[in-house]
Amino acid sequence: MFRHCTIAELLEVRGGEGSAAARAHLKGCAACRDELDRVHQRVAALRALPSVTPPRDRWPLVRDEFRAWRRRRLRWLAGGSVAAAAVLALVIAWPGNGSPAPVGPSPELRALVERSQVLESALGWYGGGGRVVDGLAATAIADLEDRIAVIDAGIAGVQTGEVPTGDLERLWRQRVRLLDVLVQTHVQRTAYVGF
Amino acid sequence: MEISLSVTAVDELAIRRAKSGDLAALERIYRAYQGTVYSLARRICRTAEEAEDVLQETFLEVCRSIRGFRGGGPGSLTAWIKRIAASKALIRIRYEKYREAEPLAEDGGPAGRRDGDVGLQMDLEASLARLSDTARAVVWMHDVEGYTHEEIAELMGKTVSFSKSQLSRAHARLRDMLGEEV
Repeated sequence: MFRHCTIAELLEVRGGEGSAAARAHLKGCAACRDELDRVHQRVAALRALPSVTPPRDRWPLVRDEFRAWRRRRLRWLAGGSVAAAAVLALVIAWPGNGSPAPVGPSPELRALVERSQVLESALGWYGGGGRVVDGLAATAIADLEDRIAVIDAGIAGVQTGEVPTGDLERLWRQRVRLLDVLVQTHVQRTAYVGF
Repeated sequence: MEISLSVTAVDELAIRRAKSGDLAALERIYRAYQGTVYSLARRICRTAEEAEDVLQETFLEVCRSIRGFRGGGPGSLTAWIKRIAASKALIRIRYEKYREAEPLAEDGGPAGRRDGDVGLQMDLEASLARLSDTARAVVWMHDVEGYTHEEIAELMGKTVSFSKSQLSRAHARLRDMLGEEV
C-alpha cells in the first residue's frame, strides 16, 4: 500500500479487523503509527472523562409514575383480566396430558376468584377517580395497590412457570384479603367525606 | 475487595426483591445506577434536560420490566439497564432530529486549546458537543461503552457500514477540532 491509512482503516486495525495491506503499511510507516497512537490516546481521553451526576433527584417522579402505572393496571385487571385469571385457574387445575377431562379448580379456589371479582366490582364503585383523598388515605391506598400488584405478578408467574402452581390458592387468598382491606379503606373514606 | 463483594451481594438481593415489585429495592437500584445512566444519556443527548428525561424514562422502564429480566447478576443488570438507556437516548435524538426538520450541522473550527488535564477534558467535552448527534452517539457507544458496530446498528435501526462511517467521521472531526497534528 503506497498511500497513508485513512482514519477508517486505522479504526479497523484498532478493532482487530484491518486489512493485511493496512497492517503491512503500518509496520513501515511512522506517520501512520503516530496517527494510530493518537486514535488510542483520544479513546483513552474519552474514557477518562469524569462521570456526571444528575442535577435533580428523579426517583420521586419515577416512583409516582410507576405507581400510577400499577394502578392503571389494577383497574384494567378489574375490567376483565380477572376473568382471564379465573380461566387460568381452571386450566391449571386440569392435569392435562391425556387426562380424561378437566376437573376444574378446587371449590376453595373458585370461591376465592369469585370473591375477588365481587371486591373488584365494589372497588370500581368506591375507588373511582376524581374523589378527594387525604394524604394518609392516599398513602394507605397506594400501598395496598402496590401489594396487590405484586400478588398479581405472582399469579401471572404461575402461568409462565416461575411460580409453583401450588402457590396459586395462597396468592388468591392474599389478593382477596388485600382487596377486602382496600375496599374497606375506600368505604371508610367515603363515609368520612359524607359525614 | 470486601466492599465489592458486599455491593454484589446487596445487588443480587435487590434484584430479587425488585422483581417482586418492592419499591425500596427498585429505589436501591435507581440509586446505584442513576450516575451510570445519566452519564451515558448526557454524553449522547444534546442538553442536560434531555438527559434527565432519558434518566426518568429509563428507570420507569426498568421498574415496569425488571420482572422479565433474565440476567444472572449485577453485571448483566448493568448491561441491561445501559441498553435501555442507550435505546431511550437514541430515540430522543431521533425525535429531536425530526422535530427540527434538519439535523444540526457539525460545527467547524478548532475548539480552542487549553493546558493541562482539566483543559484537555474541557476541550474534549466541547468537541464532543459540537459533533452531530449521531456521530456523538456512535463514538460514545463504541469507544467508551464498548458496543460493537452490529449492536449500534441494531439500536439505531441502521446498517453496520453506517455505524462505521459515523465513527470515522467522529474521529476525523475530533482530531480537527482538538487541533491534533496530522
